[in-house]
Amino acid sequence: MTRSRRLTGRCFWLAVCAGLLLGVPLTGAAQEVEVRSDTLFRFFQRDTASAKNVMVAPFYEYLQVDYGRTAGKGLTAHAYAWGRADLGDGDYYDDDATGQILYAYLQYAQPFSNFNLRLGRQQVMTGVINDVVDGLGVAGDLGSYFSYSAVGGLPVAYDTSSGRNGDFLFGGRLAHHWGTRYEIGLSYLNSADDGENQRQRLGADLTFALPGGVTFDGRTVYNLESDGIGEQVYQLRFNLGPVSVRPYYEQYDYRDQFETTSATPNPFRILAGSGEGLRAWGTDLVWGGLADWELGARVRQLNYDVTSDTAAYYALLATWHASGQTQVGGEVGTMQGDATGNDTTLLRLYFYLDGSGQLKKAFLSGDAIYAGYDQPIFGTDSSWSASLGAGRRFLEDNLEVKFNGEYSSDPNYDSDWRGMLALSYRFGL
Amino acid sequence: MTVKTLLILSLLTLVVACATSERGYLVPSQHPPEAELDLARRPVCTDCHDRRGKIAYEDFNHTPFFSSGHRSVAGRQGTVCNMCHQPSFCNDCHATSVELKPADRRPTETFRGAPHRGDYLTRHKIEGRIDPTSCFRCHGNPKNARTCTPCHS
Repeated sequence: MTRSRRLTGRCFWLAVCAGLLLGVPLTGAAQEVEVRSDTLFRFFQRDTASAKNVMVAPFYEYLQVDYGRTAGKGLTAHAYAWGRADLGDGDYYDDDATGQILYAYLQYAQPFSNFNLRLGRQQVMTGVINDVVDGLGVAGDLGSYFSYSAVGGLPVAYDTSSGRNGDFLFGGRLAHHWGTRYEIGLSYLNSADDGENQRQRLGADLTFALPGGVTFDGRTVYNLESDGIGEQVYQLRFNLGPVSVRPYYEQYDYRDQFETTSATPNPFRILAGSGEGLRAWGTDLVWGGLADWELGARVRQLNYDVTSDTAAYYALLATWHASGQTQVGGEVGTMQGDATGNDTTLLRLYFYLDGSGQLKKAFLSGDAIYAGYDQPIFGTDSSWSASLGAGRRFLEDNLEVKFNGEYSSDPNYDSDWRGMLALSYRFGL
Repeated sequence: MTVKTLLILSLLTLVVACATSERGYLVPSQHPPEAELDLARRPVCTDCHDRRGKIAYEDFNHTPFFSSGHRSVAGRQGTVCNMCHQPSFCNDCHATSVELKPADRRPTETFRGAPHRGDYLTRHKIEGRIDPTSCFRCHGNPKNARTCTPCHS
């Protein structure tokens, strides 16, 4: 990237930010317009291909604009995008995009039948589909016992240097339900990149409310390209007194779970060729017997078909809650087994304190994470990081200023300092 | 008739049927703001709602493990999520081309179950080895795999 191009990019994003902060309150008189702006200044040092200890100082602008959201029906418009300019003196981001429109769509919604139609760039999460699409999406109820969603368009993930000719994505989900007693869904996804089929999957998901307050749900995903079941995930959820219990079983067959197309990232293409199968089971427990405390435990066992290796993860956690978002918590866990390649112990402690009294509009937060490794990595057998943050709200809570500093020492970075200043601005909310 | 044509016709049929069908439970577009509820501490859904009323609210209780299993309910009933969370909230993690990992996007919000906290560069070799399917859900497309390709090309 040339220097003039970098400067142009910086000027553009600075102009966007200035326009947002100064212009919107004057022009957006109608309260139907809502604007959210998150401006982030980050700074840290990195080695690049051409220099050592380069100062990296990215300036991010996340901008969200909604028109008519509070009405909840009729025609509304929604957009969300981010952009970045590096104010540092290096070429750390030279190979990366400088921004992305995350979504930008017109929506028509009618409460009748929960009808919802979207046109434009949108994130779709339904059944086997979890994609961003430039196209048309529609969803709603078919009477009291059925619901549907469907989408068709161009997948944003395949908008690469080869262009978008031959790209498409379409699919949807049809579900039958009887109140909250049960729901059975069938979903389908078909996508292509430059005319080459990428993913063609059929999914079945279900949830049943069983007697005794027990819920059973899960999904099976069939890969129509490789003719095999790639994923099966099933779980039970129930309460034993104050303890909520979630036992689960998961099964993945790598050949059918990962694609082997030209667009598939290399690590997953290699895994697909391994023919490996992973079976995982375990249980999550959460005890909420005390009003302000949550205590949890997690056990997860993993077995592999081809190598016959095993791994296990055990964790305990505790969280104390107070007013607002105030929390103090911790988690300790360990990963063990011949499949890990390196047994690991994890410890995390954190706090988030909402202010009270004269500091009601302020907060203080902190986080510390330690990882110990059974075998040294680059000569180091542990890593740890700690961060401290603080912030305050102004202008009737429409402006929030936050600062965060972080230090870490680990096998990849002996001593690494990072910092971030964030300004969050809300208008029309 | 191709599968594509059949699907398009099915879609049109569904849209027409939608306009003429009777109504089921209508999910509100927005939940009342927490401030209006005057709660002394962070709420969970079943503090106020029946476990299984018109919505299975207990499925949406944000327990400490909710973030690691939320895709089941989000894939079935995203409209319930949307009562409290706008799509931009989901985009902190789920989007095409997310440059900042979630823990870096909102580092001061330590109460969130953001993945990849701390020195994940080192830990991902171990966690990715024991369960690559969890990596694939987000990094399985070419754009989000840009964070992988400098080393795994």
